[in-house]
Parts: sequence; C-alpha cells; structure tokens
Amino acid sequence: MEPTTHHLYSLFHEISGYIYPNEIELHWKLLIVIYPYLTGLVAGAFILASLVKVFNVQQLKPTYRMSLLTALAFLIAAPLPLLAHLGHPEKSYEIFLTPNTTSAMAMFGFVYAWYLGAVLLLEIWLDYRRDLVLWARKEKGVKKWLHKALSLFSVDIYDKAVRFDKKFVKIITIIGIPSAFLLHGYVGFLFGSIKANPWWSSVLMPIVFLFSAIVSGIALMLIIYMIVTMMKERTVDRACLEKLASFMFYAMIVDFSLEILDFMHRIYESEESIKILAELVSGKLFVSLIVIQLLIGMIIPLMAIAGAKLFKIPFELKKIVYFVSALLVQFGIFSTRWNVVIGGQLFSKSFRGLTAYKMEFLGLEGLMVSLAIMILPLFILWFLFKVLPPWDDARNP
Amino acid sequence: MLKLWKKFPGQLKRLILIFLLFVAALMTARHFLIPHDYGQYGNYRGGSVHEIANLEVKYAGQIVCVDCHDDIAEIKFAGYHKNVACEVCHGPGAAHVEDSDIELTSPRGRDLCILCHEYLPSRPTGFPQIVSESHNRVKPCISCHDPHDPVPPEAPKECSACHGTIARTKSHSYHADVECVYCHQASPEHKVNPRENLPSKPKTRDFCGKCHAEDADVEFGIPRVDMDAHEKRYVCWQCHYPHLPEAGQ
Ligand code: HEC
Ligand code: HEC
Ligand code: HEC
Ligand code: HEC
Ligand code: HEC
Ligand code: HEC
Ligand code: HEC
Ligand code: HEC
Repeated sequence: MEPTTHHLYSLFHEISGYIYPNEIELHWKLLIVIYPYLTGLVAGAFILASLVKVFNVQQLKPTYRMSLLTALAFLIAAPLPLLAHLGHPEKSYEIFLTPNTTSAMAMFGFVYAWYLGAVLLLEIWLDYRRDLVLWARKEKGVKKWLHKALSLFSVDIYDKAVRFDKKFVKIITIIGIPSAFLLHGYVGFLFGSIKANPWWSSVLMPIVFLFSAIVSGIALMLIIYMIVTMMKERTVDRACLEKLASFMFYAMIVDFSLEILDFMHRIYESEESIKILAELVSGKLFVSLIVIQLLIGMIIPLMAIAGAKLFKIPFELKKIVYFVSALLVQFGIFSTRWNVVIGGQLFSKSFRGLTAYKMEFLGLEGLMVSLAIMILPLFILWFLFKVLPPWDDARNP
Repeated sequence: MLKLWKKFPGQLKRLILIFLLFVAALMTARHFLIPHDYGQYGNYRGGSVHEIANLEVKYAGQIVCVDCHDDIAEIKFAGYHKNVACEVCHGPGAAHVEDSDIELTSPRGRDLCILCHEYLPSRPTGFPQIVSESHNRVKPCISCHDPHDPVPPEAPKECSACHGTIARTKSHSYHADVECVYCHQASPEHKVNPRENLPSKPKTRDFCGKCHAEDADVEFGIPRVDMDAHEKRYVCWQCHYPHLPEAGQ
C-alpha cells in the first residue's frame, strides 16, 4: 500500500457515522494549533506591558521590559508554523507585493508587519534608546558596535530628547493596545468568520481568543519572571508577583465567563449541529476540553489562586502555587487552541459522523517540527536578554 | 520644511529616514518583482491567459467522434454510459481526429472500470457498484459487459437482483409469502430505469388492514387487530418493519 493510502486506511477504524471522503483527513494540523497559541502569547505579553505604561501599574514595572522582549521573541516565531504549513516559504513575500484585500488570510502579513514594525520594535527601541547609547559608551569591541548600531547611532540623551522618547512610547502603547487586540482578534476572526463550520462560526470568537490570549500572556510572564529571577539568584518582588497573579485571575474570570456564555448560547440556540457537537464534546474532545481546558487549565488554577489569596499562607508556598497555576494555565490555553482548531475539523459537515486526528511524528507538519517551533522563541528570548538586558540594575541611572 | 526637519529630535529623524528607506525599498521591490501585466484582468498575470490559450489542445469532445464512429456513438448514447464521454475511456483524441492513423488506446483491462464502479460508501445508493474482488476476479469486464452498452447480461427478473437485502430479509419473515408487488406496484420500466419509475408504496393503515383488520376477508391464520383500537394515530410501519414484521412479544 502507498504511504498515503496506508495513512488513510488506518484512519478508517476511527471514523464513526457518515463522513464525506474529503473530511477523513484533517487539513489544519498541529502547526495551526501552535500558530494561535504563539500569537496569543504575544498579544498577552504586550498587554501586560501596557498595564505599566498606560495604566501606570507600578508594581509590574520589573516585568515591563521582559514582557516587551517576550512579545518580540514569540512574534518572530509566530509566522513560522504558517510558513511550514503552507510550504514554499520563499514565495511568502508576494503577499506584501500584491495584497489581496478581500482575503482575511492574505491580510495576515499586514497585520503582522504593522504590529512588529509600528508597535513592538518601535516601543522597544524608544524605551531602550537611552540605555543603548550609554551602554555603547562604556563597552568595547563587538558589543559596543552592536549597541551603537541598535541605537541607530543616535547620540542625544539630554533631558529633552529622553522626555520625547517617553511621550512617544506612551503614544505607541496606546496605539499598541488596539493593535494587539487586532492581532489576536484577527486570528479569532479567521475562525469565527467561517460560516460553514458551526464549531467556529461565532461572533464571540475574536473576543474569546483575545481574553484567553491575555490569560496565557500573563501566565507566561509570571513563569518567565520567576524562572529568570531564580536563575539570576535574586529575590522575587512580592508586590509584582501578587499583581501578576491578580491580573491573571481577573483575566481568567472574564475568559471563563465568556466561554460559558458561548456555551450557553450554543445550547439555547440548539441549531441542527448541536447533536454532533454534543457528541464531539462528550467523546473525542472530552479529555482535551472538559478535563484539560476546563478543569486543569481553568477551574483548578482559579481555585488555587483564590485560595492562596484568601488564606494567609507563607510567601514561599504562594510562589509555588502561582507558578504551578501559571503552568496549568499554559496547558489549558494550549488545549483551548487545540480544541478550536482540531475540534472544528473532527465532525462531518453532514453532522452525522466524526473522524479522528492522527499526529505525525516526523515530516513538516509533525510533532518534531512543532516542538522545535515552540522552543525556538525561548532561544530567541535568551538572545534578546543577552543583547538588551531587561534587569533593573542594567539600567543606567 | 527644512526648518521643521531641523526642529525634530535626532531619534525621530532617524526613524523617519528608516521609514522612508523602507517605503522606497518596497516600491522598488514592487517595481521589479511584480510582472508588468499583473492585474490586467484580475489578481493574476494578464499574459497567463494567452499562455493557457496557446497550450496544445488534447481533447476533442465526443461530438466530433460521431462523424466517423456513428455506429458506436448511436449505441453508446442509448445505453447506461450515455453520460460517460468517449475520451474518458479512450484518452485524449484531438490528434486522432486530425489524423486517424494516430491510434487511440482502449481500456481492455479491469482497472478503469473499477475507478467508477468499485463499491464506495460515499457513492449514491443505486449507482451500479460492485466489489471487484468477488465480482468474477479473473476475466476482464468487457468479456461480459459491452463497454458501449453496458447492460447487465440479462435484465433481472426478480426484485431481489437489486433489492437483495430487503428480499433476503423478507424471505424469512412472516411476510415471506406476500409478493413484493402486492404492496408495491412496480412497472416493468422500474427494472430498466429504476429512479425515473419508482414503484408505489403503501400509504394508509387500511392497506395493512386488508389482511389484518378483524373483518378482513382473508385466510384464517393471519393475526388480527382492532383497527380502531390498535395505535390509531400512527401508520403501521412506524412500529412494524413491513419486510420483517414483529409483534414484539
Ligand atoms: C475523421 C474520422 C474520425 C474521427 C472524427 C474519429 N475517429 Fe476514431 N477512428 C477513425 C478511423 C479511420 C479509425 C481506424 C478504423 C480501423 O482501424 O478499423 C479509428 C479508430 C478508432 C479507435 C480504435 C483504435 C484501436 O486501435 O482499437 C478508437 C478507440 C477510436 N477511433 C476512437 C475515437 C474517438 C474517441 C473519437 C472522438 C474523439 C474518434 N475516434 C474520432 C476515424 C475517426
Ligand atoms: C466505458 C468506457 C468507454 C467509453 C465511454 C467508450 N468506449 Fe470505445 N471502447 C471501450 C473499450 C473497453 C473498447 C475495447 C472493446 C473490445 O476490445 O472489445 C472500445 C473500443 C472502441 C472502438 C474500437 C472498435 C471496436 O469495436 O473494436 C472504437 C472505434 C470505439 N471504442 C469508439 C468509441 C467512441 C466513438 C466512443 C464515444 C461515442 C466510445 N468508444 C466510448 C471503452 C469505451
Ligand atoms: C467515468 C465513470 C465510468 C467508467 C470509467 C465506467 N463506467 Fe460504467 N457506468 C457509469 C455510469 C455513470 C453508469 C450509469 C449509472 C446509472 O444509470 O445510474 C454506468 C453504468 C454501467 C453499467 C450498468 C449497470 C446497471 O445499472 O445495470 C455497467 C454494467 C457498467 N457501467 C460497466 C462498466 C464497465 C464494464 C466499464 C469499463 C469498461 C465501465 N462501466 C466504466 C460510469 C462509468
Ligand atoms: C463473468 C461475467 C462478468 C464479468 C467478467 C464482469 N461482470 Fe459485471 N456483471 C455480471 C452479471 C451477470 C451481472 C448482473 C448480476 C448481478 O447484479 O450480480 C453484472 C453486474 C454488474 C454491474 C451492475 C451491478 C448493480 O448492482 O447494478 C456492474 C456495475 C458491473 N457488473 C461491473 C463490472 C465490472 C466493472 C467488471 C470488471 C471489473 C465486471 N462487471 C466484470 C457479469 C460479469
Ligand atoms: C434494476 C434494479 C432494480 C430492480 C430489478 C428493482 N428495483 Fe426497485 N429500485 C431500484 C433503485 C435503483 C431504486 C431507488 C433506490 C434509491 O433511490 O435509493 C429502487 C426503489 C424502489 C422502491 C422505493 C421507492 C421509493 O419511493 O422509495 C421500491 C418500493 C422498489 N424499488 C420496489 C421494487 C420492486 C417491488 C421490484 C420488483 C418488481 C423492484 N423494485 C425491482 C432498482 C431496482
Ligand atoms: C406487506 C407489504 C410489503 C411487502 C410484501 C413488501 N414491502 Fe416494501 N415496503 C412496504 C412499506 C409499507 C414500505 C414503506 C416503509 C416506509 O415508508 O418506511 C416499503 C418500502 C420499501 C422500499 C423503500 C424503503 C426501504 O426500506 O428501503 C423498498 C426499496 C421496498 N419496500 C422494496 C420491497 C421489495 C423488493 C419487496 C419484495 C422483496 C417488498 N418491498 C415487499 C411494504 C411492503
Ligand atoms: C396479503 C395480506 C397481508 C398484508 C397486506 C399485510 N400482512 Fe401482515 N401478515 C400477513 C400474514 C400472512 C402474516 C403471518 C401470519 C402467520 O403466519 O402468523 C402476517 C403477520 C403480520 C404481523 C404479525 C407478526 C407476529 O409477530 O405475529 C404483523 C405485525 C404484520 N403482519 C404487520 C403488517 C403490516 C404493518 C402490514 C402493512 C404494511 C401488513 N402486515 C400487511 C399478511 C398480510
Ligand atoms: C405505536 C406502534 C404500533 C402501531 C402504529 C401499530 N402497531 Fe401493531 N402492534 C404493536 C405492538 C407493541 C404489538 C404487540 C403487542 C400487542 O399484541 O398489542 C402489536 C401487534 C400487532 C399484531 C399482532 C397481534 C397478535 O395478536 O399477534 C398485528 C397483526 C399488528 N400489530 C398489526 C398492525 C397493523 C395492521 C397496524 C396498522 C393498522 C399496526 N399494527 C400498527 C405496535 C403497533
């Protein structure tokens, strides 16, 4: 048997009910699960950063630069799953040259470029500019020239110029919040606007995506902040950690309510798809949706954080509770993406049957490539931390 | 203008320069990389239309074949394969039409036929399908079926030729002795062109009552029900499968 036939044949045993031939194999696989997951982290991390600049939440200051760099690192990796999934990455520039304004998917390049160029890079550059100039003055060799080049050889660090930077950063952050909403709302829109698919087609989709993005971004920053301070052998800033946990908690509450709202809406509407969706949720998606997304990724962390906040427990223990909760939230949000992307393709458009997803191990759309793409941002981040240290004591007075 | 530029802080000037550079690079790239006839008709190269139009024509369509092969065409257009074009089986024939010395191939094996006739759950019920593994595995199809007029060797006399499952089910049911045509008025055309000539189906409770009502004028052994008392609001086959009636002890 040919490999493709063999692959299809092995799926036959998993199919139940009636399904059209072109629905047996999923078209969007693991890579497309990773894509909204990564962009969600970008948007979430950025929104955390803007809490400091726009809403002046001083306690979160230690995470400000870290969040910006994290957003950048993950943003750099975000289009990779798409490139790997579509194939022919060497042709990708063409969507910029001949834009197709009627295709939501084709507009990704512009949403991405706007967010990268007009928001993130600009904000990071302006925030770091003064430090870059000062670092370059003190350093020697490669680092000196690297920092000089990164500052675009600017020299003005007198008060007026720095004040200008600060004002500019504020404006950009204010533009940045709707842009971050746009970036991830857009990803939700891609799914929400597919009217042929009842699992996706919902106006709530962009909003649910957005809030789950905020949840995952804050959770990620909590994890990175704790690991980095531990590795640098510094003490965790108590106020900062408490604020991170609080914001994560609030965002989760909103996210949770939205998901419940969506759920009730579907059940009350009871469109003709409801039977097969119920079968999907109680069968093939039970573990990833009810157990991981809802229980492990939402309810347990919510209760754990609430418990840690309500009862007087030692800070050391609190740290562990927050850290573990944030990890669980990451699992939860990842399976949220999984349930949307994979779940939406498991049922037949005839509403009368279900298929299955068998993950490949090797190959462009397989597990290995996906893992590599998921780990890559951490390396980029490590590199960014080296070049643009975000620590407070690296700042020039 | 120049005055305003001088007033900008140094870093803003740099950003503006970079932005302008970027725009210039994009414009240049667009100028050189987009084919000049792009967008002439739509989101593609205008020239591609002419390129495609100039491709060599390989198919001739089945109307031209009639000119020289009217005997075969006549048979084919009257048979089951009337909607299967000649070139589906014989391959692209444009060259052959120009010069009949260029020979076409004829699919004398089993492979091509199976492409359309192998059993697949997604094919519409009623489309003639076979399981080739068990449908005389050795001989080529054309030894029994004329490809241009693929009638089954003989028209099936029995309803069971096509409704095998129902016939088998019925044959061991209480209704074994009731003929299909007692309940379904099937015209002879139904066996030739089933879909266009569907037989009738019983419509009312009274139809079953002809044998099962208490006052029915039939042989003694048939179980009777009180037609007014026995589930009056439903038709009988909502509960009793007519081809395998059970009284559900
Ligand atoms: C201009 C007249 C002409 C047209 C039009 C024509 N044919 Fe033929 N065809 C012939 C002639 C002549 C032969 C050779 C007859 C013979 O050898 O007995 C032939 C032979 C064939 C054969 C038998 C080849 C073999 O070796 O078994 C096939 C099959 C065939 N034609 C198919 C077609 C099809 C399909 C078309 C339409 C696309 C077509 N022909 C159109 C004249 C024509
Ligand atoms: C379902 C497939 C199929 C279609 C459709 C079909 N043919 Fe054939 N044709 C065959 C096969 C198979 C043979 C070989 C028959 C044999 O060797 O006994 C054949 C043989 C022929 C021959 C060779 C002459 C002969 O009798 O040996 C001609 C000519 C021909 N076909 C013309 C046509 C024309 C014209 C059409 C369209 C009107 C057509 N065919 C449609 C399958 C097809
Ligand atoms: C391109 C698809 C196609 C190919 C190839 C094809 N057929 Fe058919 N065949 C059909 C269609 C369509 C019908 C008509 C079905 C209907 O009437 O509902 C049909 C009908 C038939 C029937 C009539 C079955 C009945 O209803 O009693 C037979 C027998 C048959 N084909 C045999 C063959 C053989 C033998 C070949 C190979 C030489 C062949 N077919 C190749 C499409 C195809
Ligand atoms: C030995 C003779 C023989 C050969 C060889 C043969 N068939 Fe048949 N075929 C029959 C007979 C007899 C029937 C009608 C009885 C029946 O329905 O089983 C039939 C029926 C059919 C039908 C109609 C089935 C239906 O349910 O309406 C199709 C389609 C068909 N054959 C296709 C093929 C194809 C394709 C091949 C080659 C792979 C082939 N046959 C080879 C004898 C043959
Ligand atoms: C040549 C094959 C063939 C034969 C022989 C045949 N039928 Fe059918 N019959 C069909 C097909 C094909 C259909 C349509 C099935 C469908 O639409 O799914 C059909 C449908 C029917 C239906 C359903 C009509 C409806 O409205 O749903 C009845 C009843 C029926 N046949 C009775 C009979 C009886 C009685 C006989 C014997 C006298 C018979 N058939 C012989 C092919 C056949
Ligand atoms: C006692 C009366 C009776 C007899 C005898 C009978 N049928 Fe039916 N048949 C019915 C009724 C009633 C229906 C309608 C069922 C429904 O609408 O759900 C039906 C429906 C059908 C249908 C279409 C629905 C289906 O079940 O696929 C077919 C085909 C059919 N019969 C074929 C046959 C054939 C072939 C025979 C003989 C072997 C036969 N019937 C004998 C009463 C009968
Ligand atoms: C031509 C007369 C006739 C017609 C019409 C008829 N039946 Fe019957 N039916 C019989 C006979 C004969 C028996 C079997 C009697 C016996 O041997 O016990 C029977 C038995 C039954 C039984 C009893 C099975 C049991 O477990 O005892 C049911 C139920 C039944 N038929 C339902 C129907 C329905 C529903 C219809 C209408 C679609 C129908 N019949 C039409 C003749 C008929
Ligand atoms: C709502 C379901 C239902 C409907 C509709 C229905 N039946 Fe019944 N029928 C039953 C059940 C249940 C039994 C067995 C229990 C009993 O004997 O009352 C039965 C029993 C019978 C028996 C066997 C009686 C015996 O004494 O063995 C016959 C004959 C029968 N039905 C014929 C008919 C006929 C004819 C119709 C249509 C006029 C019909 N049924 C409609 C449910 C139904």
